[in-house]
Amino acid sequence: MTPRFRMACYMFMAGITLIGGACAPSATGKPDPSATAGSKSPGGDQRAGEGQRKTGESDTDKSSLKQLQEGKSTATPASSPLKDVFFEFDRYDLTSDARTTLRANADWMKSNSSTRVEIEGHCDERGTNEYNLALGAKRAQAAREFLSTLGIPADRLSTISYGEEIPVCKEASESCWRQNRRARFVIVQGRSTS
Amino acid sequence: MILKLLFMVVFFLSQPWLAASAERPGVVGEIVGQGGQKFPVAVSPLKNLGANTADSPRLSTGIADAMVHDLELSGWFRVLDRSAYIENPQSSGITLGTFDLKDWATLGAEGLVKGGFNVQGDEITVELRLFDVYQNKERIGKRYTGRVRDFRRIAHKFVDEIINQFTGIPGVFNTRIAYVSNSGGRFKEIYLSHLDGSEKFQVTDNHTINLSPDWSPDGRSILYSSFKDRSQTLFLFDLDSGREVKFTPRGGGRYLGGKFSPDGQTIVATLESGGNTNLYLLDRSGNVIRRLTDNPGIEVSPSWSPDGKQIVFVSDRSGSPQLYILDLQGGKTRRLTYSGNYNTSPEWSPKGDRVVYTGRVGSRFAVFTISVDGGEPRKLTSESSDSEDPTWSPDGRFVAFSSNRAGRYHLYVMQASGDNQRRLTGSGGDDTKPSWSPRLN
Repeated sequence: MTPRFRMACYMFMAGITLIGGACAPSATGKPDPSATAGSKSPGGDQRAGEGQRKTGESDTDKSSLKQLQEGKSTATPASSPLKDVFFEFDRYDLTSDARTTLRANADWMKSNSSTRVEIEGHCDERGTNEYNLALGAKRAQAAREFLSTLGIPADRLSTISYGEEIPVCKEASESCWRQNRRARFVIVQGRSTS
Repeated sequence: MILKLLFMVVFFLSQPWLAASAERPGVVGEIVGQGGQKFPVAVSPLKNLGANTADSPRLSTGIADAMVHDLELSGWFRVLDRSAYIENPQSSGITLGTFDLKDWATLGAEGLVKGGFNVQGDEITVELRLFDVYQNKERIGKRYTGRVRDFRRIAHKFVDEIINQFTGIPGVFNTRIAYVSNSGGRFKEIYLSHLDGSEKFQVTDNHTINLSPDWSPDGRSILYSSFKDRSQTLFLFDLDSGREVKFTPRGGGRYLGGKFSPDGQTIVATLESGGNTNLYLLDRSGNVIRRLTDNPGIEVSPSWSPDGKQIVFVSDRSGSPQLYILDLQGGKTRRLTYSGNYNTSPEWSPKGDRVVYTGRVGSRFAVFTISVDGGEPRKLTSESSDSEDPTWSPDGRFVAFSSNRAGRYHLYVMQASGDNQRRLTGSGGDDTKPSWSPRLN
């Protein structure tokens, strides 16, 4: 065949490959492995000593973004009066552990009535950035609404989502991911004098 | 800031080949079952047509290297190893009759690219030709003039011409990819670069988190979301002037991302407010034209159909993230994906027939396409690693995406069939969220 003809053949084969390259749909209906993981939250007490509280100042006074900018851990120190709450993969409903933690956080806010708190929603690295930003916003909002039902005035609470962008733990494992699927509580005003 | 391209095609040296597509129906019976063959082509280093300088060897091989990169990335060509080339490119001619085509036929080359260059100050003139080795003919001849430092763009433009000869549609190598990278440290900044990693440009340098870059259809602006003013919102960065416009939601909330409409006049943006995310239509200054969705759940990652009449997006209204298509005129929404429990980051193809997206397979993420009419999705990447955030080339024949198959996240390009997956030049950090530019001048 002529070269021109041959070139046409090559290009046609590229087209055939394109059509024939369809893959069988994959099985994606498997249960979410993270959903069956234990529901016990890895609380801040497991990371005791990671961020010792200095006199009069805590890292919970700084947003995760600020911590990132300063090159510091975004883990909530064990000494923080406000504990993180944790979520299952692709979920923003509150587990019973999360509600227990939020009740304790609400009690502290009631006895420190001059404080305002920004609730940060975070996700693990799986999934896409924009969806995780939306999911983090849902998590922060779920925590905010529960605190409201416990009597914390709306004007003492604000929310922000960092999606998957500021993880506490950076390994690709479920034990790490579950630490990242969290709502974090940052005291933004009226620090306790206790 | 980006300087404008200076290239001009000065003249045609020959009539272009007929587009091969017209001949395709006649060859169907002969080639079925022989797949996998690629067109063998040789790319000679260029001849220096002017005075020799210290820069000459770099330009001679650099222009050829850039063409080799593009031809191999396309998946349609097999570039013959340069070490086997017989003739001396500096002493042999670059026009038909001034060199021996047999030297190339014996290597198995069916196509041959030769050319020459001449540097005058900071300007370079490059002549490039494609020869048909078997038929002893010149198929393309072009002369380009530009700045010396932009010599790779001349190579990209010529490969686009070569692909036009074979397919009737120009290639997409004179384009750039916008992406997010943490290569500078712990922050995520927006970068642009050509597919070969050249002419890298850092759009943001604010030491926070910058995400979701999107090109304006004229290739002159980048829309992105940023935490640089603490509360996340969108910025529209003008590449010519370096100036940018900040989008401030009037009623509060945060813009998580946005995409230009095909006519470049409007933007569909994701606005989060009170924990709910919905889609809004904005003008280029960030003013709301109208709200497009009104749901209590998550509605994110919109992408326009090429006619601008529909938007594919992600919603969790069914309980898990799935793709939906919104008809802008009728206002109706239909669900597109039913297989899998996690389908996100859709992008509508330039041809309009398919949507590429990220889907979860077991505990991994893979790139899929699905017809806009629904049906069975095609999986394009392996679930032995994660592949995410696909973006179409402007001709719809390629898809770029990010994958952690080599450890960190890097950018890859594949044919729209999933064939010929190749890694692009990496930054040294995690490169994610690619957005493929329109064709550039």
